[in-house]
Amino acid sequence: MTVQSPASRAPSEPGGQPPPASGGPPGPSPAAPRHRVGGRLSVATTPTRLRLLMVTLLAASLAWGAVTAWTVYEHASAARDVVSTGEPLSLSAQQMYRSLSDADVTAMTAFLGGPNIPLAARQRYQADIAQAATDLSELKNAAGAGSSPALLTSLAAVSTGLPVYTDYVARAQTWYGLGSLLTGGSFMQVASETMHLTLLPAARTIYAQENAGLTAASAGATGLPWIVIVLVLAVAIAVVLFRTQRWLWRHTHRRVNYGMVAASVMLVAGSLWLIGAFAVARGDLQQGVGHGSAPAETLAQAGIDTQQIRGDEVLNLISRSGDATFVQDFDAVRGKLGPGPGTLLTGAAASSPSGAGAQWAAAAARDVQTWYGVNNQAYVLDAAKRYSAETELVIGSSASGSTAGFTRVGTDISRAIAADQVVFQANATAGENAFTGLEAGIIVAAVLMALGCAWGLSIRLAEYR
Amino acid sequence: MALRYRILLAVVTAAPLALLAACAGGGGNPAANPAGLPAGSTASGASIPATPAGGPQTLSETGSTLLFPLMGDWATAYHRQFPTVSITTAGTGSGKGIADASDGKVSIGASDAYLSSGDLVQNPTLLNIPLAISAQQVNYNLPNLPAGVHLKLNGTVLAQMYSGQITSWNAPAIAALNPGVSLPGTRVVPLHRSDPSGDTFLFTSYLSTHSPAWNSAIGYGTSVAWPAVAGSLAEQGNTGMVSGCKATPGCVAYVGISYLSKALADRLGEAQLANALNQYELPTAATISAAVASFVSATPTNETISMVNGPAAGGYPIVNYEYAIVRASQPSAARARDIKAFLHWAITTGNAAQFLNQVRFQPLPGPVASLCDAQIAKIG
Repeated sequence: MTVQSPASRAPSEPGGQPPPASGGPPGPSPAAPRHRVGGRLSVATTPTRLRLLMVTLLAASLAWGAVTAWTVYEHASAARDVVSTGEPLSLSAQQMYRSLSDADVTAMTAFLGGPNIPLAARQRYQADIAQAATDLSELKNAAGAGSSPALLTSLAAVSTGLPVYTDYVARAQTWYGLGSLLTGGSFMQVASETMHLTLLPAARTIYAQENAGLTAASAGATGLPWIVIVLVLAVAIAVVLFRTQRWLWRHTHRRVNYGMVAASVMLVAGSLWLIGAFAVARGDLQQGVGHGSAPAETLAQAGIDTQQIRGDEVLNLISRSGDATFVQDFDAVRGKLGPGPGTLLTGAAASSPSGAGAQWAAAAARDVQTWYGVNNQAYVLDAAKRYSAETELVIGSSASGSTAGFTRVGTDISRAIAADQVVFQANATAGENAFTGLEAGIIVAAVLMALGCAWGLSIRLAEYR
Repeated sequence: MALRYRILLAVVTAAPLALLAACAGGGGNPAANPAGLPAGSTASGASIPATPAGGPQTLSETGSTLLFPLMGDWATAYHRQFPTVSITTAGTGSGKGIADASDGKVSIGASDAYLSSGDLVQNPTLLNIPLAISAQQVNYNLPNLPAGVHLKLNGTVLAQMYSGQITSWNAPAIAALNPGVSLPGTRVVPLHRSDPSGDTFLFTSYLSTHSPAWNSAIGYGTSVAWPAVAGSLAEQGNTGMVSGCKATPGCVAYVGISYLSKALADRLGEAQLANALNQYELPTAATISAAVASFVSATPTNETISMVNGPAAGGYPIVNYEYAIVRASQPSAARARDIKAFLHWAITTGNAAQFLNQVRFQPLPGPVASLCDAQIAKIG
């Protein structure tokens, strides 16, 4: 390569200044050259322009790298949160609700069964309480000062209310053991009211809050604004690089400036990698949410509703100090649960008709109608004061009873949720993996861009020494 | 020149890195959680006004017929002490009292039974606040029994009488409990309440604790599916129970203790009932207080507790708190103040012997009254 002297390349420039050229580089217009006047530095000289260009491109390259790396970090973190934090916390909250509800139904059923509580029922109750306490601990540890007041208040309500509940259950069993059936019953009623009026509503709020956190993390991982911003920045830098190279090209007898070319290549490569990775991650995460976590969330709500219906009908067996029953609540919850247009079970079944989750959701929608029939029958018996028949229907072991019906629906829903979570987990993990190496790659590309610009322009600048 | 580049590079790099650091650390919300934990209610009676709000006010009460006579006395005395406050009362039955209070139709509902879970789920702001201690006796119409004889009955025998398995008063099961008593062969006529009633809840609770057969077949409640017994009768309210029993020889009836004087005046017999220790007791001040004493420390903060068939020696088996059913959230501060002041007056001044003795109620023990004050303080 032949290196020409500045004088030979720019003979018309007094003092080594290149002539103005159309489509010149960014910066002060060549048509209005400024010279050192009254001590001020003129920017119209070529070396000065080159220095300004170098500073500008270095800053732009590194700033773009920093902003892009941060954007990648944020999206990757959000994707990681979806998989490793949001989903597990949402599951813990869901599991805590289920454990609390099951503990109450188990305790009440065992109580109604007679003074000799079966060992299996005791163990199931204790396992439920232990599981709820474990889930509560996890949720409390994950909550921080930045958590929503509703979440913190609800966590505190469960934390305070759980020992109160277990104390009432223990007192109910003690009084029952002493032969005071009705006193034990009143404590059991108070325990269950604590569960129904305090613990379960708080647990439902916790689940809603954690699920909102999962949704927010998903939105953070798939959100467009910052990706668009860094791509716009990339385009702007690309324009500057292009115009700089064209200016250099014209003023160096069409010689290629390899440093600038390398910087351009790095910018294009980094941007394409960013676009590709983000597109893959976004697609995977949206697939995971649409066909995994969203129907799983709908089904979790459905599970909570079936547990509420079950808890209400069991509590209704022991609460006979008034005429009010839970039949209105049953009708209201049933309307929300479905099946039917706009209901939870129908919505979950329609989310991905070919998926295993949707098939189990459809099975739940079928089985729940049979269970509704048993519930209706129980409330009819209650209204007729046929308490014995009602009790047998609600907590008896018959295959046509409510226990069996609730178990079938619960199993359907659990299997549907498990299937949907497999879909979600696979897609969300793939989405998270799409960001692997991108952050480091962007930083390397930005540094190479800066070095390319520095190298390319410093060679040109050195010609003026 | 090289140094200048390094400085420039350092400056250009530092700015984005500082930005990156700021953004990475920006996830935390600097604003502290303002909500914190829910404030706990205080059990202090200091927040309960001793006097009504002032200005003419009318409080309304409906519900328990058992509490009705006492509530009438309280209303009169309270109006005398605080002329600006008038209290209307009506003995409509506990079920209607609860419903009226829940719907806001009355200021206070009166109930012999604590709130059901269904009531609370429909209206979680309802409170059940004990006002006094009551009991329930079993009366019978056997005019030929010698004066001063109180037949011994237990829950099992009563369950058989109400199930139609014991049809005459000289049945062996009754005779076995009453050796030496010459029992007539009069046909047993079980009498029960026709309206949903706290008294029915208490009585069927007693039967259920003594008779597993009754518990599994009929159970307990403010209403139950009474067994079809030939000749059995149903009456509304305690007044109806007393008058119905008076008019029917062979009748057996459960009646709230505030109607005991009336029942005795109508020459109805009063049974000794078996407690959990198989001791037979009449509902006296001593036996009622003994029965309640074993539940005082066990009474939960919301004061929902069944005291039927308690473990105390010498305790009468059917005792209960008489409850005021009140909404914690009242339509106005003045109304809330008036209700709080009256309820506090009822469990203090109103628990004096001059009021309670007339209806054979017993005063609330101190610890229970404190729990009541804590609940009254929640009204606002």
